[in-house]
Order: sequence, then structure tokens, then C-alpha cells
Amino acid sequence: MNLWQALFMGLLQGATELFPVSSLGHAVLIPSLLKWSFKQSDPSFLPFLVLLHIGTATALLVLYRQEWVALIRGFFSAAFRGQIQTDTERLAMLLLVGTIPAAILGVYLQTRIKSLFASPYAAAAFLVINGALMIGFELLRRRAERRAAVTASSRPEQEEHFAQAERISFRAAAIVGACQALAFLPGISRSGVTIGGGLLAGLRHQEAARFSFLLATPTILGAGIVEVPQLLSSGVPIAEYLAGAVLSGLAAYASARFLLRYFRSGRLDPYGIYCIAAGLVSLALLHFNL
Amino acid sequence: MKSTGLAIGLGVLGVVFLIIGVLYAFGVLQIAVSDPHATHHYTHLILFTVLAVACFVAANFARPKGTVYVTDRPRR
Repeated sequence: MNLWQALFMGLLQGATELFPVSSLGHAVLIPSLLKWSFKQSDPSFLPFLVLLHIGTATALLVLYRQEWVALIRGFFSAAFRGQIQTDTERLAMLLLVGTIPAAILGVYLQTRIKSLFASPYAAAAFLVINGALMIGFELLRRRAERRAAVTASSRPEQEEHFAQAERISFRAAAIVGACQALAFLPGISRSGVTIGGGLLAGLRHQEAARFSFLLATPTILGAGIVEVPQLLSSGVPIAEYLAGAVLSGLAAYASARFLLRYFRSGRLDPYGIYCIAAGLVSLALLHFNL
Repeated sequence: MKSTGLAIGLGVLGVVFLIIGVLYAFGVLQIAVSDPHATHHYTHLILFTVLAVACFVAANFARPKGTVYVTDRPRR
């Protein structure tokens, strides 16, 4: 992989990581469609993607730096006291509960999932499934809005009837966390399934996105700690890869800010339609070898 | 749910997770690992340490708290 390819991959990963469109799916599909010579089955490809993910996680840490300081303080206060007294402490414990299922599934499913990375067909198919999931989440949300008889005049007012991230139940946090493991499949979006899970748990769109972004940070950093030593020992051009990671972080920061504003009134449907279209077009291009 | 038994159980589970993590780290345990020839499995060590911490936190939550005596001395 040369410098320009590494920078392109960094920009692509950072821009798509937080959007519910599967960055991993794009990172597997696009080099195949562009017929780039580097092999996705190469042992250094997954650690490279993880390095780009660390760029994204760093962007999220910068974006939520004050919140993370409060969350870490809240975690230790509640852990030593054995009692939750504030919303911040509750959110810290929710994030711990949400991270554990993803960590267990990630460690034990990693090998099987790695074998899927070599297949752009699988990534394209999963992208279509991801799109269907996004549209499905929104259909269920609209039904919940009708059941709750939410008849506000504007979308932001409509969203006010739903909860903040701190109010999600511990069971729902664990389920949303477990859904993160689906994102090890290239084509299934981590942020998509966690935002969708948050919506089903009764969160506002913006709060579901916030919970998703907070939940992503320890998971992505954890995966990075595990994979980066392999990258360093595999003799790949580290400088190029680091440049890609920096670009990934910058793109992720910009996309996170955009999405938090978008989800004040926006929904997941446009991303669902995009994923279905992109997946089908990719399948056609791969099948006809265009 | 507060119970001394539950708290002890969670504490013991936390210790068991720590031991499993150490066994993985030294390559004694080779169950469900990606590379059976590797001598150390640090991924599993990190996972089981996180699980152990979660168990200890949960044990502290499950522990019945003693009576809190509030002094009538005014705070300075």
C-alpha cells in the first residue's frame, strides 16, 4: 500500500466510521472495486484498519474529552461507593455493561470473522443487510411514535418525547453492546446497529448517536491495543499508515459533529437506502468484473 | 438486589476470571485461541481482567451497606 492509498483509506474510514454505513465494509469493498494490488487477506490489513480505527477513537476522545473525564471519575466514585448517585455515574456503568458483551464476542469470534475479510462479495451482501436493518429500525421507531401518540409539530419537538442516554436500562445497554459484535462482519455498521438499538430502547436519535459514539471508544481502543503490536512487527510502512490514521481521525471528528447535529431531527432511512443501493451496485460490479 | 452471598459469589467469580486471564497470558490455557502455537494470549488476559473488574464492581454493588450514621456536627 502506497502513501496515497493509505491516505485515501484513512479518509474513507474516518468519514464512514461514524456514519451508519459500515466503514469496514467500504474498506473491504472499495480497494477491490478499484482493483488495488494490496491483498485484503494480508495479515497486516486488519491491523491497518485497526490503526485507522484508533484515529477515529482519538477523535471521539477529543470530541467528548470533558465527558470522558467526568465518566471516569463517575465510574470510580460509583464503583468504590457501591451505589449510583448521579446520571454520569449511571452512564459510566451503562458503558461498562455495554462494552463487556462486545469484548467477549470480539475475542472469541475474531478468527472466524477474519476469514470473511477476504471476501468483497460478503461485504457487499452484508451492506445490503445493513441497509435493511436501518430501514427496519426506523419502521419500528415510527410505530413506537404512533403508539406513544407523539403528535408534535416539528421533528425536534417529536424527539423531546424520548429519553436521554442515561435513562437506558442496563439490560438494553447489554443488548446494544452485544449488537456491536455484529459490526465485526464487514458491511454491518457498528454505529448503525448501536444507534438502532438505542432507538428501540426509547432514546432520542441524537442521544442514541451519543451513546453509540461513547460505547465505540473503549471497544475500538481495546481492539487497537490488541492488534497494533502485530502491525508493528509485520514490517509494513508505519509512516504511511500513521498518516492515514491522522486523516481518519480528522474525518471522524468532522463527521461526528455533523451527525450529532443531523440527528436532532434526522433519521436513519437515507443511510439505509444508500447501503442497499451501494451493496447491490457493488455486487453487480463484482459479479460482472467491471 | 443486595445480598452478602451474591456479593461473595461475584467476588469469587472475579478472582476466577483473574486466574483464567493469567493462565491465558502464560499460555497454559489454549481454549478458543486464534493461534494455538502462541505462547502468550494477551487479548484474553485483557478480556478476563475487564470481566474481573466488572465482577468486583458488581460485588460491591450487591454488598449490603452498613447503617450510615449522620453526625449532627455542622460542616465547616
